[in-house]
Amino acid sequence: MLEVIHLTKKYGKTLAADDVGFTVPDGKIGILLGPNGAGKSTVIKSIAGLLRFKGAVRIQGQDSRTMEAKKCFAYVPELPYMYEALTVREHIEFISRAYGISISEEEVSALFGRFELSDKQEKLGNELSKGMMQKVSICCALITRPKVILLDEPMVGLDPAAIKELKAQILELKSQGCTVLISTHMLEMVKELWDVTFVMDKGHILGTYAKEALAHEDLEELYFSVTGQAERPAQNGR
Amino acid sequence: MGAIAYLYKRTLINRIKMALRKPGTYFLLLVLLFYLFALPASLKVMVEQAGIDSSGGMAAVLTVLAFWMIPANLTAYAKRKGLVYRNSDVHFLFPSPVRPKQVLIYAHLKTLFMQILLNLFAVVYGNVLFHVEGWRLAVYFIFSIFIENLLEGGIMLLLYGSERIREKQRGLVTKFAYILVVILLLMGILTYLQEGLSMRSVSHFLHSDMIQMVPLVGWYIAVVHLLFAGATAVNMAGTICYGLLFAAVLTAAWRMKCNGAYYEDAIKFAEDYEEVLENRRQGNAARRLGKKQKFSKASVRWRGHGANALFYRQLLEYKKSRYFIFDINTIAAVLTGAGISYLYCSEGGFGDLENFRVFIMPVVAAYMIFIFTGFSGKWARELKSPYTYLLPDTPFRKLIAATMMQHVQSLINGCLMVIPYAFITGLSPLEALLTILFYVAMSANKLYSLAVAQVVAGSSLGNTGRQLIQMLVMSIAIFVAVMGAMLGMAAGNVLMALGIMNLFLILFTVIYMVIAALNFYNIET
Repeated sequence: MLEVIHLTKKYGKTLAADDVGFTVPDGKIGILLGPNGAGKSTVIKSIAGLLRFKGAVRIQGQDSRTMEAKKCFAYVPELPYMYEALTVREHIEFISRAYGISISEEEVSALFGRFELSDKQEKLGNELSKGMMQKVSICCALITRPKVILLDEPMVGLDPAAIKELKAQILELKSQGCTVLISTHMLEMVKELWDVTFVMDKGHILGTYAKEALAHEDLEELYFSVTGQAERPAQNGR
Repeated sequence: MGAIAYLYKRTLINRIKMALRKPGTYFLLLVLLFYLFALPASLKVMVEQAGIDSSGGMAAVLTVLAFWMIPANLTAYAKRKGLVYRNSDVHFLFPSPVRPKQVLIYAHLKTLFMQILLNLFAVVYGNVLFHVEGWRLAVYFIFSIFIENLLEGGIMLLLYGSERIREKQRGLVTKFAYILVVILLLMGILTYLQEGLSMRSVSHFLHSDMIQMVPLVGWYIAVVHLLFAGATAVNMAGTICYGLLFAAVLTAAWRMKCNGAYYEDAIKFAEDYEEVLENRRQGNAARRLGKKQKFSKASVRWRGHGANALFYRQLLEYKKSRYFIFDINTIAAVLTGAGISYLYCSEGGFGDLENFRVFIMPVVAAYMIFIFTGFSGKWARELKSPYTYLLPDTPFRKLIAATMMQHVQSLINGCLMVIPYAFITGLSPLEALLTILFYVAMSANKLYSLAVAQVVAGSSLGNTGRQLIQMLVMSIAIFVAVMGAMLGMAAGNVLMALGIMNLFLILFTVIYMVIAALNFYNIET
């Protein structure tokens, strides 16, 4: 379970996240939506422990800054950055050591096979395309067998086969009881995945919506009705 | 093996493997070996003449280094800016269950290789220049790598990682570092007032007891003096203080709680660092670490179309820049012009070289441009930008438009360098004009030789390899220009020699320009 409790973050005088709170239960997929500058990245980086903030983030009931919480948490950032001098295989080895887990050759081969990375294992980080880097980043997150996973725009740069595979992986994680939080603008890509949606704007959570409560409403319609963004171009055009 | 050790080991091994595949590495190794062995041999006479060729001299040099290094490191750690993290660390290491203290130690370990190298230099220089006994150098090496490194690491952990020290308190540490520098400066001024300025007074100052009583910096200097200059009551007391500080810092660092609150500052620094690296790769040396480039508001009247857009965009960028078109080349040009003019005045001429007066500035200019080959300016960025190739115009017009501003820049720099020199040394207006022309042609040669180097090297040799080829290409043009000058001298006319030298250089520059244009054309098609 992922709990964000009264999260507030200021950059100087700018309030990037103001008393943000939400919960994604075990085995559920949460989607964090919002226009550019809404504060999503701030919330995500705070959950990942990359920013100082007021409030609390709990991962499986534990403070997100503890080693126990970090061990069951995985993060896929929006922009992947590889170690230039490590091969793809060495990235996996490094992550397995960092998380203190043992991974069999079969597991690695199966994961690489699913993301078409089998022939890229000996490639160095600086020899990969952006899409390949994103695949490695996802594999590094999945290999840790997380109980909570945070994906920031995970489909950007991926080819259609990888997007399909990633969606399948996310549903598998859900079926295993893993908590998933995805931040994305690609509403079409997550419409069959989500269980609960949090819509943010100007540092606030505007609303929390469960899929079962909105049986007939489309995610896109919901987003535009909450943020009011659909009306803006028409108003400008007048 | 832990994650950090694995990361460190694999990165080091893979980097060495990558480096061994690049020809530039072997060149750098040669330079390094030269500095390690040949330079101390050549400095030997100078050190002997100065009378510092003893263990005490070594202590004096290390004292000067401590004045500079220790306060600088202290300030950097207090500002949470001294450690280099890359974006890959932010991606993988920061969110992982690796203890934030270990993450700090990892960043500190990254400098270990360089520290070993620098201390190796100190050992060789100490032996060759200062005739220090082997055992003293061995003790110093072990002290530097283990004790001093551990103390610095402990201070870094406390300043960078501590979550109990607030922003204001860290600011106080910075002030403390500045106070240390001020105290040392005041002590220097006091010695100067008492003894005047001489090698003897400088030596007194560097070996004085009062310096060894200054906290932190002084205590380190006391250890160095104990090791190299023999035991005194003061340096033994300073060494004991150093030992106590070492124990206190390490205990505090060991017990300190750290949950990674520093990550936010480390990320900012990592982003800044990556931006600086990217700018350097694109030839923009003006972007410095910790200093965001500030742009003011400006506008230009856009005229023409097609390739002209490149010229006006560059002009707009320069107008928005703080120093307009003036950069490190301008400073180098002004300093060189002023320096040689001063030399001419103070020495009352160029002595035996007086007859070759007109060639002195071109030789110096060629050397200056040659050593600043790495600073390619906006032209290198134009070559990398896809928009340059998409512009609907001919490659030749694009080449002219993209390099025009840099020719203007080198014309101004050339004037700043040559005019005062010409005035003082009494060059004729025509000689001055030809010298400025040589500077502009040489600068243009550097610009276009970059494109020639790209044609020759392709993408296989990397930046260093390409730069070496660029230097080789420039050397050919310089060699031909020198031949031209010799031809003119053979005809017995200095002015003709200067003219032919310029002519040959311009000829080669035009050839390089044509190759650059053709390369542009090839890339586009």
